[in-house]
Amino acid sequence: MTNTWFLYLFFSLGLIGAGVYALLAKRNLVRLFIGIEVIGKGVSLLLLATGFARDNVLMAQAMVVTYIVIEVSVVATALALIINVYRHTKSLDIRKLAKLKG
Amino acid sequence: MIVQTALLVGLVLFSGLALFLKDLIRAAISLAVASLLLGIVFFRMGAPYAGVFEISVVAGLITVLFILTIALTNTGEEVRESKLANLVFPLFFVIFIAIDAFVMKGLLQKIPALPAAAESGTFGDVLWKGRTLDLVGQIAVILAGVFSVLALFRKRDKHD
Repeated sequence: MTNTWFLYLFFSLGLIGAGVYALLAKRNLVRLFIGIEVIGKGVSLLLLATGFARDNVLMAQAMVVTYIVIEVSVVATALALIINVYRHTKSLDIRKLAKLKG
Repeated sequence: MIVQTALLVGLVLFSGLALFLKDLIRAAISLAVASLLLGIVFFRMGAPYAGVFEISVVAGLITVLFILTIALTNTGEEVRESKLANLVFPLFFVIFIAIDAFVMKGLLQKIPALPAAAESGTFGDVLWKGRTLDLVGQIAVILAGVFSVLALFRKRDKHD
């Protein structure tokens, strides 16, 4: 049972690593947000895998459902912010946000 | 077990594609495929509700929101990404996965098993009775999201 948990842990860490790299290296705002989504996928996989390994699938499932509902709210707000940033700077480049003036 | 591993490999692969494809629309669709695979993994782990939410909400609704945003912000002007970052990624990822596998192999059987309480009841019991506070929090978060989107898209006053 425990060995299965390490398999899921391995893959979810892979997802989190790829997402963190994208957050550090990419410059497009939409792509940065896709990186955050990928990290979220890794975390929800880890949550459910831990519940699965401990025979607590129902509780883990409730947690994952909560996470997904909150994720939708976060995505809607962040994408609205990205559209507003685009209207101001006419670009999705994160470096243009370094200038806070006007 | 083999099917599950294949699904997980596909999940990591499509997530990587979502991060590194040049075309943003294709990247969003890759993210949707990754969500679909994650939903199937959830189904196979005996969590059908989480799987349904993952496939319908994340693969469906969030992809639509992403594609809408990409369409609204598309002027043909590409953001110039650094080429070095794309070139270094495969190397970084292989090293990361190797360290990951090494650490996981070292940890096998070492972490003491936590005591698991036997679960009883159905998913509905756990969600509505056991996690009632979570549900109140979810409602608050959704309301906050609605108000923030309304605030971000409100029409400017004349004196602004």
